[in-house]
Amino acid sequence: MSGYHRLAVREMASTGNDLVFLPATRCEKTCRPRFYSRILTAAEQQLHARNDSLDLPFDHYIWLCWSIKESVYKYEKRLHAGLSFAPLQIEVQQLMPPAGAEEFYQGTARLLTAGMPLYFQSHIRDGVLMTMVSEDRSFADTRWGCRPIGSSAYADQSAAVRALVLTELQTLLSRTDLQLQKNADDCPVLLGGGQPLAIPVSLAHHENWVAYSFRYPL
Amino acid sequence: MDRRAILEELKKVLEPYTENKELLRNINEQTDLVKDLKINSSNLVDVIIDAEAKYNIEIDFDSSEKMITIGSCIDVISQKTN
Repeated sequence: MSGYHRLAVREMASTGNDLVFLPATRCEKTCRPRFYSRILTAAEQQLHARNDSLDLPFDHYIWLCWSIKESVYKYEKRLHAGLSFAPLQIEVQQLMPPAGAEEFYQGTARLLTAGMPLYFQSHIRDGVLMTMVSEDRSFADTRWGCRPIGSSAYADQSAAVRALVLTELQTLLSRTDLQLQKNADDCPVLLGGGQPLAIPVSLAHHENWVAYSFRYPL
Repeated sequence: MDRRAILEELKKVLEPYTENKELLRNINEQTDLVKDLKINSSNLVDVIIDAEAKYNIEIDFDSSEKMITIGSCIDVISQKTN
């Protein structure tokens, strides 16, 4: 049985990712209570205040939480049609800083109204904050990529991130008939030969950066 | 304010966050802020805060979660201003 057929019969297969280019955010604006109180729950505000080991400026913490929430939303939206993004309805519940050789912030977050806790991995490098989530703590079957592009125009971001993920998938699946479309809920759907494949894909872009994640068994 | 007047002011709120100005000129109540206008989700909080300033209102968390389409934005703003 091939890898993606195994994934097809698995329940709750989804993925979610997000990207924030931190230099494009404004610290002064982000750190206003009027702004961040629409993103962080009271528990998340306390999580930063009591976690000295994070060593993360507050504005970066806010955007880290934002990217985790966006990623959880994209994961859950594939499973709950019609779900809309409400940052305060998704809560980061555990957050651990990178340790030793580990480059990722890790922890759990969940959609408060319905979801199970999801694991996240986030990294910040060269001002680029990228997050992905999975129900699998190991992230063993999550593939991801992130790269700069030459334009910040929406059409160019959209084309670039699709080209990036399709190139990776074409190599992995050894097929050239792959396409990406959006369904009615705005979730990317991978098609092979015009038929949907059971490989969940998530796309993100911000300014001159694009990123993807997808699930594919080892 | 009637819905048409709110819509015209709302276009000014959305303008800094909308790349395609032609699309913005032709919005209607069904237009989705993210799916149709392609407003980056990281700017949605800015849109709400700017709308509060523009209409001199406070938009509570529950109401802001409903602001998905132009029509739902007008509903919330209309409720708060009238």
